[in-house]
Amino acid sequence: MNSTLLLLIGFAVLMLLLLVWVLRDPRKHAKPDGDLGSTDELCQRHVSYFPQLRQALAAEDFVFLSSRGSPQLARRMRTERRKIALAYLSCLRGDFLKLWRLARVIASMSPQVGVAQELARLRLGMAFSLRYEMIRIEFLFGFAPLPELGSLSDVVSRLSIRLETAMNNLGERAALAAKLASSLDDGHGLDTR
Amino acid sequence: MGIFPLPVLWLWACSVLAQLLVLTLLFLKGNSRKLPYFTAYVTLNICQAGFLVFVYTHVWSDPDTPKTLAWTSECVTLIVQALATTEILEITLRPYQGIWGLGWRALTVTSGIAVLLVALAARSYWALARWFELDRGYHLTFASALIACLLLVRYYSIPVPSAYKLLLGGFCFYSCTEIMVNTLLQAYFQNDFFRHAAVWQLSTMSSFVVALVVWAAALRKPLPVEDRRLASTSDADYQRLSPEINEDLRRLNEKLLRLWKLEAREQ
Repeated sequence: MNSTLLLLIGFAVLMLLLLVWVLRDPRKHAKPDGDLGSTDELCQRHVSYFPQLRQALAAEDFVFLSSRGSPQLARRMRTERRKIALAYLSCLRGDFLKLWRLARVIASMSPQVGVAQELARLRLGMAFSLRYEMIRIEFLFGFAPLPELGSLSDVVSRLSIRLETAMNNLGERAALAAKLASSLDDGHGLDTR
Repeated sequence: MGIFPLPVLWLWACSVLAQLLVLTLLFLKGNSRKLPYFTAYVTLNICQAGFLVFVYTHVWSDPDTPKTLAWTSECVTLIVQALATTEILEITLRPYQGIWGLGWRALTVTSGIAVLLVALAARSYWALARWFELDRGYHLTFASALIACLLLVRYYSIPVPSAYKLLLGGFCFYSCTEIMVNTLLQAYFQNDFFRHAAVWQLSTMSSFVVALVVWAAALRKPLPVEDRRLASTSDADYQRLSPEINEDLRRLNEKLLRLWKLEAREQ
């Protein structure tokens, strides 16, 4: 069997696998943190817990413990810090995914969609996922500097505010559209088929 | 009809019966009005079966005539198949004008790439298996374009009623199995695969019967009317928000990259 035929069979198998994946109900397999959730939930973003996290991970505590000559306790604290940072990073990713999906919702509701914009966002999302995994692996073996984690939170926070404003606008438009539709249905119904 | 073995004839009869069932469901449940091209596709398949009976029972002076006529009728059916699929995709994406526009572009690009790949793959076999290569090329293009559209639907989390999903799934399954069967036969029987026409007919007809069963399941109830009215954003909203969001996402990625580099440096 030559390479072209092998490639064709591989392609057909890949298409069948993709078909199964795209046709299954995404809601049944969605992770809870992947849901868009309500606007209230959006307001309670993990980034808002950053000051507490910063306090919990303050370098002074670590220096103090080291100076007091308690290496075992310092080591334990380092391990616990690592766990906290990992959990926090995972929560940030959850926030990013929710916001990323919101951006797609905005695109899907637009009458015209820019290919370049959409491709750029897809690329950014993929890059984020890749880097997130890399950083997570780094965290597992070491400890990332806290200030950088803080600036990361700032970006997510800013993004969150911007998208929440957009969602509020969309909500207003949805209410207006529903009102318009009901007024049309009351009179001469609008056939949208 | 003596040129076909009995199992092929039986399967052919089953396929025609299944097509009649699908057509009956289309008319009984009022789905034919919602899917005129799909109805035309099923009707055309039944007509094609009748035409093939005539072609294969008639005595022709040129032995190649039945084959040419059969493949020509297949070309017509395949064109209507593409129209029927576009019709279902259009119904699904109608409320999402922007995504439908994007879908059209995705269809064009993927089809173009697939046609190019098919032309490259078929160049060494073209003289030997012209119809065979054309058939596989069509299904390859069709399946990749359909999957590209379905990926787009999935990416934007667009809800698709399960009946439409089954109809599209049936088309895609049939095309994928056609590609596999054609390629496997070509690989195993090398240049002699025309002598194994019965094997090819049995396998392709079986996959078509499976697709028909799936379609019958999808059409057992009246199809949902797509009357979703979306609270659409204005084009200006998207033009303003999209670059801003992308810029923020880009910044976030840069921060992540910097964090990773700094972390790596400090270790």
